[in-house]
Amino acid sequence: MVKKQKVKISKLERRNYKWIYLFLLPSLLIFLIFYLQPIITVFYTSLTKWDGFNTPVFIGLKNYMDMFTNDAFRISLKNILLWSLIAGTLHVGFGVLVAFILYHKPKGWKFTRAVFMVPNVISAAAWAMIYRFIFNDDMGILNNIIRKINPDFHIQWFYESPYAFWAVTFTWLFYAVIVTLIVLNDLMAIPEELTEAAKVDGATGWQITRMIHLPLCRNAIGTGVICSITSRVAMYEQIALTTAGGPGDDTMNLPIILVKAIQDMKYGYANANGVIMFILGLIILAIVNRVFKMNESVY
Amino acid sequence: MKIKKVTALVLASVMALSLTACGGNKNETSEGGEAKESKGVIELKFPTYLAGENVGATFFLPEIERFNEKYEGKYKITVEEVPQASYADKIKQLAQQNKLPVLVHAPGSGGIDTQWFKQIVLANDMAYDLTEFAEENPDVAANWIPESREFCTVDGKLICKPTSVLKPVGLYYNSSMYTPDKDIRDMTVDEFVDSLGDNKIAFMTAENGWTTALMLTALIANEEGGVELLNSSVNDKLWDYSAPAFVNGVAKLQTILQNNASSNTVGAAYADAANAFMSKNAAVICNGSWMAPEFEEGSADKWSNGFNGEDVKATIYPGNIAFANPSSYGEFWIANTATDEEKEAAEAFLAFRDSQEEIEELVLTEGGVAPQLTYSDNFLAELKKTPLLYELSESMNDETTYCASLGDVFPASVADTEFGKLLPKLIDNTLTPEEFCDELTKKAEEAKQ
Repeated sequence: MVKKQKVKISKLERRNYKWIYLFLLPSLLIFLIFYLQPIITVFYTSLTKWDGFNTPVFIGLKNYMDMFTNDAFRISLKNILLWSLIAGTLHVGFGVLVAFILYHKPKGWKFTRAVFMVPNVISAAAWAMIYRFIFNDDMGILNNIIRKINPDFHIQWFYESPYAFWAVTFTWLFYAVIVTLIVLNDLMAIPEELTEAAKVDGATGWQITRMIHLPLCRNAIGTGVICSITSRVAMYEQIALTTAGGPGDDTMNLPIILVKAIQDMKYGYANANGVIMFILGLIILAIVNRVFKMNESVY
Repeated sequence: MKIKKVTALVLASVMALSLTACGGNKNETSEGGEAKESKGVIELKFPTYLAGENVGATFFLPEIERFNEKYEGKYKITVEEVPQASYADKIKQLAQQNKLPVLVHAPGSGGIDTQWFKQIVLANDMAYDLTEFAEENPDVAANWIPESREFCTVDGKLICKPTSVLKPVGLYYNSSMYTPDKDIRDMTVDEFVDSLGDNKIAFMTAENGWTTALMLTALIANEEGGVELLNSSVNDKLWDYSAPAFVNGVAKLQTILQNNASSNTVGAAYADAANAFMSKNAAVICNGSWMAPEFEEGSADKWSNGFNGEDVKATIYPGNIAFANPSSYGEFWIANTATDEEKEAAEAFLAFRDSQEEIEELVLTEGGVAPQLTYSDNFLAELKKTPLLYELSESMNDETTYCASLGDVFPASVADTEFGKLLPKLIDNTLTPEEFCDELTKKAEEAKQ
């Protein structure tokens, strides 16, 4: 039985604590002033009627009650749930797959990695505009290809139910470069001896991937899932510049409602929306942490 | 050792603070615009959407140049070009920071909504009272349309420069594709729809669905009680769309959209609708007189598929209806926070803009009528050289009914996004006309404070 040893902190280390706290102080102050204070303001004003200009008037939970009885909000939650499922499975899965392929360094892997990176250096707004052209019925490449087979084919992907939801999904589905990079980074860090030992024991390539590499990348994949899902919760440009949440409310999500509320000078309502997004983010973090056991060491 | 640590701490602090500084405003001048006096010249800078590709730029930017030329050595105006879609947001943000530019476009233009104007600007006394300006410039004030002046007078203060020019909105059609037996103005809605045959109308569903909203306005105005419904809703906006005139209008719009809409209607923004018309994919487009320059030879690079601007005719809507709203907030207002010099320069510009020469120039460029003005002979001769504008002004007679358009009566978010977003569902029958109106009412309700 391993006896727990009490870790002794040396005098020198204790003396260094003072400096550690001092070094942290500037960042901590900035966090308090520029992050924590706005977050508290958002929480407080979500309980008020506020036009963004005059003094907020406390109205309790009315904004939240209005929100939960609003059709657009309910559709947004449904959309976020669906997008989160797609992001956590297909999107992250694709990113991981690419990382594993690149890990084996096939011919031209560096070029592929660079190409895969390109969409990430183009702004989401620019991508949205590009997709508006791709999915355009008249001049879009997609429909023109389909019309080679079926000349009568006409769908405006971003503006017709139920296609709009899937068209918006397609604008981000395969751009998983962040997932690929963090997983690839973890793969590269796996000690060569582990793979060698498995090979000596007669493990096949698939067994090595499934039993060694995948478990050792658990934290990176978990981080990828968190990034992907929180990006879906906060997704704005891709929707605002393509469907604006339409047709009807088919592609509505929380940031679109938030911005619309600001345009209607309902800052209290907008901030209540912000609070829900914040809480959703925390829930996602907690779930993914638990599922991927991210607080435990992989080695 | 300690010196190293202190140095590192200082560097860490500087780095952290510099990160904050990066987010700060780099210059000390106002973002919204500024006025500075150099060598006796009062310089004024303000943002405007009447620039770049905006059709209003054709008149407005040369007007600024003419002003600068006339007042050289005394005043100088430079404009900051802002896309129309961003203008209102910019102004709202500047108002929150108490950094409003000296001159601001009036509500009803540039996306500035009347709700915001009343609730924020008027409630907080942010608009400068132009009553004294009107008294000191009686020749300028005489050109203002009385209804607009009355509308701009709030609690005894003249809070916007009233409008001098009414720009009635009608429609254009391509006579090489569509030749109605009689003037559309003299038709009923049913006769108009029958006369179209297979011809298409350039509609929109993206952005604010502008051209579609104009047709719907005409259809509502042709229903019993429709004109009264629209005209009586300008001040307080229309929040409930269940009135029979509205529902019947939507039902007719649904039929027209399903049978006579250009092929690109679903998802079409304004540019797409204009393109459909100027490429002969649509024979009719609803729009204001400001579109007329697009059909002149100078814009031929925008034409395709054999389109010829000379074929375009202008008229008003079936039932002898034109859209014009004299009860409007006019064109510009001056921020109360401006300095005396800034106000002086801004007032000089407003007076210049409403001089006889400038009004006539505006009508010749963008169309419209100046009811309070006695036109010069030169102007009348020039007007005949712009046949489309002449046709449009001639199409209105003593029996023409003028009514406010849906853009004037919808609350801001319904006008800007919700109306257009619901249209595809009306086209594909997902929504019946009644359901469409219910959804629109719900959206308006959400926009209420």
